[in-house]
Amino acid sequence: MHELGVAGGILDVALSEAARHASKKVTSIRLRVGVLRAIEPENLSFLFGHLARGTPAEGALLEIVEEPIRVDCPACGVSEARAFTFECPRCNGSGVSVTGGDSLSILSLDVDV
Amino acid sequence: MDACDRCGILTRMQPDGTVRIEVERSILQSADEAAAAIRALLSGRKIYALNLISSPGSGKTTLIEALLARFDGKGGVAVVEGDIETEIDAERIRKHGVQVRQINTHSACHIQPFRLLSVLREMDLSETRLLLVENVGNLVCPAEVSLGEDSRVVLLSVTEGDEKPLKYPLVFKTSDLLVITKTDLLPYVTFDVDRVRRAARAANPSVEIFEVSATTGAGMPALLDRIEALRAAKTA
Repeated sequence: MHELGVAGGILDVALSEAARHASKKVTSIRLRVGVLRAIEPENLSFLFGHLARGTPAEGALLEIVEEPIRVDCPACGVSEARAFTFECPRCNGSGVSVTGGDSLSILSLDVDV
Repeated sequence: MDACDRCGILTRMQPDGTVRIEVERSILQSADEAAAAIRALLSGRKIYALNLISSPGSGKTTLIEALLARFDGKGGVAVVEGDIETEIDAERIRKHGVQVRQINTHSACHIQPFRLLSVLREMDLSETRLLLVENVGNLVCPAEVSLGEDSRVVLLSVTEGDEKPLKYPLVFKTSDLLVITKTDLLPYVTFDVDRVRRAARAANPSVEIFEVSATTGAGMPALLDRIEALRAAKTA
């Protein structure tokens, strides 16, 4: 259920952008969501659809671009992981640091004008 | 990519006739703005703020009580308690004679920064040098939202298991201090402290890790000293 606040944030941005462009309909919204955010796309879409009822964003499609976890390994450099780890996904070395994968942003939205 | 002739924003006509607006904005922008307002309020008053996050029952309120004992008479401490329901924690803290407010989030699983901001605006912070915010007991949602705090503290009790940093990485990635609590129970549970340390360091290489037992007092002085030093650095 923690997707509810995220869905509300998406709707706020979508409605303010739609108003700024004098658009009465938002058709789709592209998001970048890091794996570390633990967002369930189905939950997010369901909650967004519920909140957007009766607004210009009603029926808008959420397209989620998943951002992998970025892992820096002192032995073999940067790589990406699909799940949180403290071992390098490439060489299994320790001492890695997680440097990315917590994005939560709206990239673009498609509107009718 | 074309610039909109009305507002100059970058847009692109799609084959289906819709217009693509490139925004690249944080989804949590309104929350981030409230957090920035809290940060400004605290900076203006030279108040050092801690955001305490953990599962229910890991020792957040107990750590607050230890901090109240340490800072008694050394400049004001104010406490904001976050819980879904009840004033139980606020009443427990009020007995110590400090200013305390309870935020009941009802169905929400974390303190929202705009709620904290409005509570802080109602409080008398003229003597306050240390603000302790106890978030709702939860390792997921509180990690997602900044409350404008100076330091985020995640507590993990040894009875919860040593896999928590792997299961809830975001809170460990975003916390400045990790406090491993109830270490007096280590002989009775399976909890690999080194495993937790390694995972927490992978999530955040600069995390400061403390092992404490409020029951025996082990490790508590080092933690309280560190918080006092952080507060002194902010309020000097």
